[in-house]
Amino acid sequence: MSDPTRDFFTDLAERGQVPMLRSSGGTIRFDLEDGDRVEHWYVTIKRGTVTVSHDRGDADCAVSASKELFDRLASGTANAMAAALRGLVQAGGDLSLLISFQRLFPGPPAHSHREQAGYARRTS
Amino acid sequence: MSDGLVKILEGNTFVVSDDRGDIEASMTDPTGLFSFDTRFLSRWVLTIDGERLNALSTDDLQYFETRFFLVPGTGTVYIDAKLSVIRQRAVGDGFHEELTILNHDEKAVDLTVHVEAGSDFADLFEVKDDLKKKGAYYTRVEGERLVLGYERETFSRETWVSATEPCKVEETGLTFNVHVEPHGEWTTDLHVVTAFAGWGETRDRPKYERHAKRARPNLERSLEKWVDEAPTLESDWDWLKMIYQRSLVDLAALRFSPRSSAGRSLPAAGLPWFMTMFGRDSIFTSLQALPFTSELAATTLRELGERQGSRLDDFRDEDPGRILHEMRYGEMTAFEERPHSPYYGSVDATPLFVVLLDEYERWTGDTRLVRALEYEARAALNWIDEYADLMHNGYIWYQRRNEKTGLENQCWKDSWDSISYHDGLLPGFPRATCELQGYAYDAKIRGARLARLVWKDSAFADELEAQAADLKRRFNRDFWVAEGGYYAIAIDTDGNKVDALASNNGHLLWSGIVDKSKAKSVARHLMSSRLYSGWGVRTLAEGEGRYNPIGYHVGTVWPFDNSIAAWGLRRYGFKEEAARIAAGILDAANFFDGRLPEAFGGYARELTKYPVQYPTSCSPQAWSTGAPLLLLRTMLGLEPIGEHLIVDPALPQGIGRLELLDIRGRWGRVDAFGRGRIDLEKRAGGRQLGVLDYEARERVRARKK
Repeated sequence: MSDPTRDFFTDLAERGQVPMLRSSGGTIRFDLEDGDRVEHWYVTIKRGTVTVSHDRGDADCAVSASKELFDRLASGTANAMAAALRGLVQAGGDLSLLISFQRLFPGPPAHSHREQAGYARRTS
Repeated sequence: MSDGLVKILEGNTFVVSDDRGDIEASMTDPTGLFSFDTRFLSRWVLTIDGERLNALSTDDLQYFETRFFLVPGTGTVYIDAKLSVIRQRAVGDGFHEELTILNHDEKAVDLTVHVEAGSDFADLFEVKDDLKKKGAYYTRVEGERLVLGYERETFSRETWVSATEPCKVEETGLTFNVHVEPHGEWTTDLHVVTAFAGWGETRDRPKYERHAKRARPNLERSLEKWVDEAPTLESDWDWLKMIYQRSLVDLAALRFSPRSSAGRSLPAAGLPWFMTMFGRDSIFTSLQALPFTSELAATTLRELGERQGSRLDDFRDEDPGRILHEMRYGEMTAFEERPHSPYYGSVDATPLFVVLLDEYERWTGDTRLVRALEYEARAALNWIDEYADLMHNGYIWYQRRNEKTGLENQCWKDSWDSISYHDGLLPGFPRATCELQGYAYDAKIRGARLARLVWKDSAFADELEAQAADLKRRFNRDFWVAEGGYYAIAIDTDGNKVDALASNNGHLLWSGIVDKSKAKSVARHLMSSRLYSGWGVRTLAEGEGRYNPIGYHVGTVWPFDNSIAAWGLRRYGFKEEAARIAAGILDAANFFDGRLPEAFGGYARELTKYPVQYPTSCSPQAWSTGAPLLLLRTMLGLEPIGEHLIVDPALPQGIGRLELLDIRGRWGRVDAFGRGRIDLEKRAGGRQLGVLDYEARERVRARKK
C-alpha cells in the first residue's frame, strides 16, 4: 500500500541537504493520528542539513494532524497553510520552523502548463 | 475622524465603532471587532435603563487605546445630566474595556446596565463582497462567560465575553444591576477575547488588565520608544513636524507581527482592509522608512523569505522563488475559496525583495541577514529569468494562472483598466509593464553587489551585471516612445508599445534603467501639466484615452508613487524637480492633518484648491504613511555610500531650514542639515508651500540659454 507520508520523509532523509532550510534550525515533531495509533516523526534541521527519525526527544515545534491529511500534504493535494486555518493542523512552539518546512511539500500534481500561444492581442 | 467612526488597532486586530463606542454592523459595513481577517463582534451596544448613550467627546489616547465620554439621554441637549459614563478601550487579542459610571447626584441611583453582544463572524472578503455564510452559529453561557461561536466543519472561531463585576450572562449579552452612591462611582472591566484553536496559543483573556502597569502593544517596542528612537526633525516650517510625527505614529500603528515572528514587526498595508502582510506594500514601506527605522525592513525580508514560493501551484499563482503578494487568515482563505494562503500573484515583489535586501545592507551594514537570505535572494533572481519571462524574450511578463480569483494586473496598478494604449484600448495578456523591467534591472545590479560583497561569488556578480546591461540596452530600444520622449507603460505580446504616458516613468528613474540621454525628457514629462497636477504626478496623463481624475489608477495622484518619482528624480540629478514633488505632496498632507490617503483626485490644483480624497481609499495606508518619510530623504539628499551617509540637500521653496538629527546606520548616528530659500511673502500664509509654475519657469530658463 502506498504511504505518501513515509515516502516524503524517506525522500527528505535521503536528500540530507536542503538549501531552502539553510537559515532554519531546530526540531519539529509531527504527531500523525491514524485511527487509534499515532505516528511520530522528528525532523531536525541544522544549517540546511536535515535528519529524520522516530526517536523521541525534545522538539522546538510540535505539530499534530491526521495521517490522512499529512498524506495529502505530502502528495501535494492539500495545502498546509489553508489546512491550518481550517483547524486541521494544530501547531505549537516555534511556528516559523513549520512555515519554513511546509515549503518542502510538493505542489498540486496536475499542474497545467501555461499556454503560450493565442493571446488576444488588443481588446477594449 | 472624518467619517464619524473611531478606529483603534493593534497588528491585525482592530475595532471600528461609532463615537459612543457602539458597534452595529451590517454584512457590508466595516465596523466591528476584527482579528485575523474575521469579524469577532458585529454588535456591541451599551444601554443604561434601556436608553442609548450620547457622546460628549472621544479621546484617542494611543492608536490602540481610546476613551469615550458619554451621558444618558437622546438628542443633542444634555440638560442636567446626573450621570456620566466613561468607556476606555484597548485592543490586543480582542479588547479590554473599562466601563465606569459616575453619579453626580446627591441621591443614590439604581441602574440596569446592559451590554448587548453578537457576532456574524464575517470574513473580511465577505464584508467587501457581501457574501453569505456557509457554516452554523451557536451561543453558549459558560458560567460567567458568554461564548459566541461559529463553526464550519473543522473551522471554528469564538468570541468570549466576560466581566469582573457580577452580572447576568445571557446569550444576547451581559446585564448588571448597579447601585451607585451619591457622588459615587461604579466600574467593571469587560473582556472580549478572540479565540481560535490550532495556531499558536489562545489566550483566555485580553492581554490588558486594569492596574497593569500600562497597556502595551503586542510588539517589542512601545509607541514612545518607537518615536524616541526615530531621528528628530527640526524645521522652520512647523507643519513638517506635524506631518513627520503623524507618519511615525501611523507607521507604528501599522506594524504587524505574524505569529511566527517572535514579536518582530513588519508594515501591514492599510486600515481597515489591508491589515496583513503584503509583498509589494510591505517592501515599499520598508524602503521608504529605512532612514528612520531598519527593523521593518529586516522583518519584512525575513518573513517574506520564509514564505517564498517553492512549487508550481496554479491556484495560488505560486512559482519557486516568487515572493508572496498577500496573506490572509479568514474563512474563505481557509476553505480555498480565495487563494490567499498565501497568494503569489504579483510580479514586482520578487525583484523588489532583492532591491530591499541591498538597500537594507547599505544603511545598516548587516551582512548577517544578507548571508542568511542568500538562498532566497538567489531564488528570487532566478525567478526573474526562469519563471517571469513568459514570452522568452528577456522581460518580466504577467498572466494569472488562477483565472477565477487571481489578479489580472499583477503590478502595483492592479485595477482592470490601469494598463492601456494612448487610445484607451487595453492590451491582451501576458503584459510586460515598464516599471517591472526597471525593478528587474535594479535587482540584478544590486544582487551583483551583494554577490561580490557578501556571498563572495564574483562569477555570479559578473553574470548578473552582464544581464543587467543587456536588459537596459534592449529596454531603451523596445519601450521608448521616440516621438513622445517617454517610456511606454508596457509592451504587448507583439512587441508593440502600449503607448500611454503614465507615472511609471518615475519608477524607471528610480530603478536606474533609464539611459542618461533620455532622463531629461522623462523628468520634463513628469513635471508637465499633463502629468503634474500641482499636488503631484498623476498615475495617468491628462489627454490619455482612459484618463479620469478620479479613476483609481488612471488619473489619481498616489503619494507613494510620487515619493518614488522624487527618489528617481534625485537619482538622475533633478534636485529641483524632486523638491517640487515633495512640496506638492507635503502641502496635500497638510489638508489631511498629516495623514496622506492612499490616493487623491488628479484635478489641477488651481481648479480645486484642495486635494480631493479618492472615495474608497484606506487610511492610514502604509505606503502613503511612508511617503513623507521618503520625501524627507529626497529633500535632504541622503545616500549611504560605503561607511558614510552623504547629505546633499535641495529644499522646496518655503522651507528655510530642515534638520534631521540622529539618523542611525552603519555610520553610527549622523545629523543632516538643509538650508533653503524662503519667500517671506509666501511664508505669511504659512501652511502651504505653494505651487510654482514649473513649465513657465522652464520656458524662462530656456529663453535665457
